[in-house]
Amino acid sequence: MLVRKLFNRQSLAISSSILGRCISTSSYRLGSDKEFVHRDTPKNNLDIKFDFTPENYKRVQSILAMYPEGHKAAAVIPVLDLAQRQHNGWLPIAAMNKVAEVLKMPRMRVYEVATFYTMFNRNPIGKYHIQVCTTTPCWLCNSDGILKTIEKKLDIHVGQTTSDGLFTLSEAECLGACVNAPMLSINDDYYEDLTEKDISDILDEIKKDGKSKAGPRSKRYAAEPLGTLTSLTEPPKEPGFRLRKELQ
Amino acid sequence: MTEGALAKVRQWFMIMRHYGGIKNTILALYRYDDLKVGKCIGADKYGNHYYQNHRYFVGRSRWVKYADRVGLDYDASQVPPEWHRWLQYITDDPPTTTPLKRQPWMIDNIENKTGTSQAYVPYTTVPNKIESWKPPSPTTTQQTVTMKT
Amino acid sequence: MSGIQLNRLLVALNRIKQHGYIPICKQSTAAQSKKEPEKIEVFVDGKPVQVEPNTTVLQACAVAGVEIPRYCYHDRLSIAGNCRMCLVEIEKSPKPVASCAMPVMKGMRILTDSPLTKRAREGVMEFLLVNHPLDCPICDQGGECDLQDQSMAFGSDRSRFTDNEFSGKRSVEDKNIGPLIKTSMNRCIHCTRCVRFGSEIAGVSDLGTTGRGSDMIIGTYVERLFMSELSGNVIDLCPVGALTSKPYAFTARPWETRKAESIDVMDALGSNIVVHTRSGDVLRILPRTNDEVNEEWISDKTRFAYDGLKRQRLTAPMLKNRDGYLVPCDWEDALSVVAERIGRTGSGSKMAALAGRFCDAEGLIALKDFMNQLGCETVCVEERFPNVGASIDLRSNYLFNGTIAGIEQADLVLLIGTNPRYEASVLNARIRKAWTHNDLQVAVIGPKIDLTYPYEHLGDNTNVLNELTSGKHAFSKTLNEAKRPLVILGSSMFERPDATSIYASAAQLSEKLRDVSAKEDKEWRVFNVLHRYASQVAALDLGYKPDFKSIIDLKPSLLYLFDADEGLIKREDLPKDCYIIYQGHHGDRGAQIADAILPGAAYTEKHAIYANTEGRAQQTHLATTPPGKAREDWKIIRALAEVCGVALNYNDLDEIRDRLEEVAPNLTRMDSIEEANYFKQNVELLKQHKTSFNNQPLTPPINELKDFYMTDSISRASLTMAKCVKAVEQQLKSRHTN
Repeated sequence: MLVRKLFNRQSLAISSSILGRCISTSSYRLGSDKEFVHRDTPKNNLDIKFDFTPENYKRVQSILAMYPEGHKAAAVIPVLDLAQRQHNGWLPIAAMNKVAEVLKMPRMRVYEVATFYTMFNRNPIGKYHIQVCTTTPCWLCNSDGILKTIEKKLDIHVGQTTSDGLFTLSEAECLGACVNAPMLSINDDYYEDLTEKDISDILDEIKKDGKSKAGPRSKRYAAEPLGTLTSLTEPPKEPGFRLRKELQ
Repeated sequence: MTEGALAKVRQWFMIMRHYGGIKNTILALYRYDDLKVGKCIGADKYGNHYYQNHRYFVGRSRWVKYADRVGLDYDASQVPPEWHRWLQYITDDPPTTTPLKRQPWMIDNIENKTGTSQAYVPYTTVPNKIESWKPPSPTTTQQTVTMKT
Repeated sequence: MSGIQLNRLLVALNRIKQHGYIPICKQSTAAQSKKEPEKIEVFVDGKPVQVEPNTTVLQACAVAGVEIPRYCYHDRLSIAGNCRMCLVEIEKSPKPVASCAMPVMKGMRILTDSPLTKRAREGVMEFLLVNHPLDCPICDQGGECDLQDQSMAFGSDRSRFTDNEFSGKRSVEDKNIGPLIKTSMNRCIHCTRCVRFGSEIAGVSDLGTTGRGSDMIIGTYVERLFMSELSGNVIDLCPVGALTSKPYAFTARPWETRKAESIDVMDALGSNIVVHTRSGDVLRILPRTNDEVNEEWISDKTRFAYDGLKRQRLTAPMLKNRDGYLVPCDWEDALSVVAERIGRTGSGSKMAALAGRFCDAEGLIALKDFMNQLGCETVCVEERFPNVGASIDLRSNYLFNGTIAGIEQADLVLLIGTNPRYEASVLNARIRKAWTHNDLQVAVIGPKIDLTYPYEHLGDNTNVLNELTSGKHAFSKTLNEAKRPLVILGSSMFERPDATSIYASAAQLSEKLRDVSAKEDKEWRVFNVLHRYASQVAALDLGYKPDFKSIIDLKPSLLYLFDADEGLIKREDLPKDCYIIYQGHHGDRGAQIADAILPGAAYTEKHAIYANTEGRAQQTHLATTPPGKAREDWKIIRALAEVCGVALNYNDLDEIRDRLEEVAPNLTRMDSIEEANYFKQNVELLKQHKTSFNNQPLTPPINELKDFYMTDSISRASLTMAKCVKAVEQQLKSRHTN
């Protein structure tokens, strides 16, 4: 995989520098760095046992209750998510098999779903999964700098896990918080309006206490304007504004 | 004219003397369609005799009279290689004067068997399209018996 | 909303509930055909056509005679709509429309040849070819490849894809999914036909798509076998060379082969096949579409056992020498020695003949005529049939009366002591089809086995049958309410000591059900026998005795085995001086005990008639000549009769078929089923029978996939089938199950 990526990067450089080829004829492929077949590894094989805890079985039942008879297979995404949360943020093959068993559907159908969604991790992952948004609005607001800071601080690259198993770093596509760019998510929490110092602090806090306050790092509460209003500053117009005189 | 005719007659007599009589001359003509006179350089162990006459043009000045036992079934491949090189002007030294070094790996000359019952036929390299059933035979049953014991 | 509309909506919703999608349902159920919905008019390239309301644009175009290019769409699979090749322009629609998934609407104007349609197709072809390797010269699909053909017909003449030397095309790892299917996943265009075939037709959800976008791959995710008895059909379905045949790999191009239409004999269904040969060599076997029998599927045994036709063959007559070993000889010697033995036996009463599973009707009639003229009446088939009631005197007693296509009209199927999945795989696919599309209810008396569809398991002992017949069973109510029930009795049950009772109960039960179903459909036939042997129905039609035990009782001094390889009669069962003649094509169990061997022709090597379990006569055509000195079976018997001084009055194929017509006219009426409907009379006769069951469970012989592959002399000689058995055994050890 890595070799392929390197090869692709290099080839892009060649094709753009030498030929100046227009983008429409470039076949540069942004392939995923993930594999979509299962291979038994020491960390992920059928010897790893997985079963839902009794509490989670109750949750499974309540999830299943949401779907009518004959449509229980639709519960596969929430149940997979439950399994992933129970199993340190990733799904071993045994967990997928268990989900298939619980939902009484063929295993292959579960594998299909689990491989389709990028938020299901099929390989071991660090305790804190850092997903840095690098899509255009965040990128314009220096997401590259954020990424570099994290890489430097944790001494890992995208797709890697720290040696202590705490952090896994990955690039994500738009996470839907463009107003608060640049942003990243660590597990379920969003950290927004970041500067390079902010992210450094966040990582320190997490390392120390296991958590850091989520939300915007600027003075904002949520997605309101950072300073004063730049539009809609005057009081709202009365009813009948710009209405034809005859109708007033 | 007469001189030419006389020379022809004289030549005829010479040829007949060379071949040893009218009968042998006719036989030689029958076998080779040609009557050449020359000096016998030597013979090989298969009974072929080799002649040379520099009166003829190069290329026709050396020839072979095949062994009598082969009759009309003579073939160029009956000439052994040591004579072949002399016959084909590869060398001017016949093996009678300068014999080749005999190597231990050399084998006897074998003539070309094409067209005879001993002709070479390559074995097939293609597997049989149909594999026949082999009924139990004395050999296979013996084998199974020994295997059992 | 009118009642009809509401009803239609409910049906669709019900289907979505069951399968998660709306499967295309062939309008085959009688209930639907009764209420013919109003046809609507659409215009294909300006030409008006009348089509049924819920057909798709693509089907409407087919009605108008316009072939729309497609990859993912297949008649017998659900609609996926993911290849986009079938884009057409529809007037007043802003974009081109995927015709395979678009239902027709009134007055729709479809343009299949407009500039927009053409450009859309060219664009789709270009996208498909961006990641398709230029493998055609080394690809087995070359010459019969949809992608090749359609890029020639509908693609652009040039590509804008220019820099493949720099970054290359998408590359995908090849999967190992068994010894039958060779995968070359780079060539895959993600039509998902194989995935849909697996989950819909074969009922084995082993294949799937993993990943997404340009990373999407077709595969099994974990390394495992595509474990289905119908797996070979994905090779035909694959529109490109991603899934090809492993045994056929790199052997021939399609235009080099000669094709002979033929009939399969591996089971009693008589699947229609095409035998591809080159220079007298059977290269592959493909299915031939026949909606009445096999649709377009064939089982893996049918498709891949052909290499068994090249091994263990009898290629020369053989006689035993003084030491008691078989040695090859001439026909002349063989025939004169055998005829001399027959002459020495004298009266025919001490002779017997036994016909096996691959015998054709011509051979059967010739042998029967020959034996009868010698005075021998013990002419039997290997498969037994209970001698009770009218037994084999009435054809309806031993046929699959409901017909294979009739399963689609049934609303309840009761399987008694049969495992159709391995006894008649294509029939099982038909039952599954009826279950998916028509809500067919299935009940089973027998062991709990995976039939690829859910069923009501009534138990595996004879008590259940007894209770059902008397109407005391809990399931009887459901049975009696069924409007079009089918009772399918497996022929393996006839081997049991209480076969007569099982048969009688099943027949009586069926007759009872027929009384109910007659209200719905007078011609509906409930009772079916599912045979396993291709020769059985023709043999019974011709008056063969279905009782090989009578041969053992007879203690014959001469036994004529005709393709009889089941090993039912052993040397020890016969008198020591009994002379055994074996006529057949494989050196198997029969040849091993024989004193004389007359090599016959296999089903691909003769023009022959076979009747399938429905009683449908179909004929094979000669694909290759018999190997070595082997000859067509009826000719051998005819020649032997001549040497014996017995006159058989037929000298060529037409004449022997005339003779067949005299004895059983139905056997010469190809591809048709004769009416056979004498259930009432039979049940009257059955009343005298006293049922007495034994306690053995009603277990059919083959219940596992690994036992499915090697069942007869041809498949036992096949290396491919041996590999399949090995692969399945290995898969069973693997923990990556499904």
